[in-house]
Amino acid sequence: MIRCKPLLGTFVEISIKQDDGQAAIDNAFSVIQKVHDLMGFHNPQSELSRINERAHLEAVEIHPWTAQVIKIAKEIHLASNGLFDCGIGHRLVEAGLLPRHITYTNHELGGIADIHFLAPDLIKSARPVCLDLGGIAKGYAVDMAVRVLLSEGIASGFVNAGGDLRVFGDTFFPIQIRNPESPEELIEIGSLENGAIATSGLYFAKRDRQQSHIINPLTQNPSEIHAEVLGSYSILAKECVYADALTKVLALSNNENHPCFERFSAQALRITA
Amino acid sequence: MIWKPSPLAILGLAMMSAPIIAHAKIYISVEQAQKLLFPNKALTKNPIIITDDLQDKMRAASSIRYPFQGERIWKAADGSWLVIDEVIGKHEMISYAVALNPSGSILGIEILEYVESYGYEVAEPQWRKQFVGKTVNDPIKLNQDIQNIGGATLSCKHLTDGVKRITVLYELALKHPPSSISPNQLSKAK
Repeated sequence: MIRCKPLLGTFVEISIKQDDGQAAIDNAFSVIQKVHDLMGFHNPQSELSRINERAHLEAVEIHPWTAQVIKIAKEIHLASNGLFDCGIGHRLVEAGLLPRHITYTNHELGGIADIHFLAPDLIKSARPVCLDLGGIAKGYAVDMAVRVLLSEGIASGFVNAGGDLRVFGDTFFPIQIRNPESPEELIEIGSLENGAIATSGLYFAKRDRQQSHIINPLTQNPSEIHAEVLGSYSILAKECVYADALTKVLALSNNENHPCFERFSAQALRITA
Repeated sequence: MIWKPSPLAILGLAMMSAPIIAHAKIYISVEQAQKLLFPNKALTKNPIIITDDLQDKMRAASSIRYPFQGERIWKAADGSWLVIDEVIGKHEMISYAVALNPSGSILGIEILEYVESYGYEVAEPQWRKQFVGKTVNDPIKLNQDIQNIGGATLSCKHLTDGVKRITVLYELALKHPPSSISPNQLSKAK
């Protein structure tokens, strides 16, 4: 049984080996919807939008899931020496890739490092921020969906959020990756058991004539903000949240041996174009 | 986590293995969509004639040029609706089901089929026809082995536009069905 719904701005597939288990799939889709509602940039009512609007003015109480994503984002930010930073929302807004809810003028915008935890579910920001969790929340949503499926007794299956995917159970799943030079072609790169793989690349952005969504957070130079990368950058990890976020570190560093990967027990895989 | 790289990929020869071109994924049938979106509810087919005016308004609201077909609409006894539609982009055709509650808010969306193509075919009705209403058991060329496709995030924007036109359809045609006044009721109204 395989089902697919539009969520998180992409197509989310959930597949299980058994034919019963409809309720488990429904519940797995519900947690993805919940992540979508909490952490979506497009929705001006989401918790993320509230953080961007208020966190520099006052302490903002957040859902434990949002707190967890921000915690992991901070951890990866630190380990990658700033290469992964969710504080790039305004760059994507300026490029027309995300909607403009707030007009930022004369503000020195901060990054994820400016977010501080006052309590496990309470944050404040030292500076105004425009966070976009688009580079990490999909992976987190996939992990949460897998957790639900496992807790409902589903033995084996996979969740794929538009290319950020995780397989579970005692089965090897063949994994195909799109050829960055012609994305309609698929390359079978191997098979995976109980793990996650996420991929970044610009071939769809190029096809749809959009600016690069891979943002270099360490530069102020307008010509370097939108990283232009050619290949396909995949990360294998136990959990999809790490796989998702670390693809940005791989794409920006272009270094398969960045110390960050070992730290999170991840493995980098590049397909050159 | 256990990862077994393909031997060809290790040697950097993956590109030389036969590429798999264009794929179709069939998720669920119309009947399954009905059961998933309206469990234990009976649905009655309720096709609607789409006037040019309505077609224009749906097009304006959603920027989808491909005309909406009014045949695949169902109604439940409580006033809920199920609408099946397709969006056809440059590179894909997606058929999907939208469930609306009696007041028009979206109860759920299910993707029925996703057919990807990078050729000219997607613009050809004849080519598209072979996929419509097919199930995984049908003898069309579907590669059942292709399941786990990784890669850059694929946007669902076209589909979002499609769903938008269904909400316009509800506002303009389903909410107050023009054909609901029978001659009998008319005479009573006098």
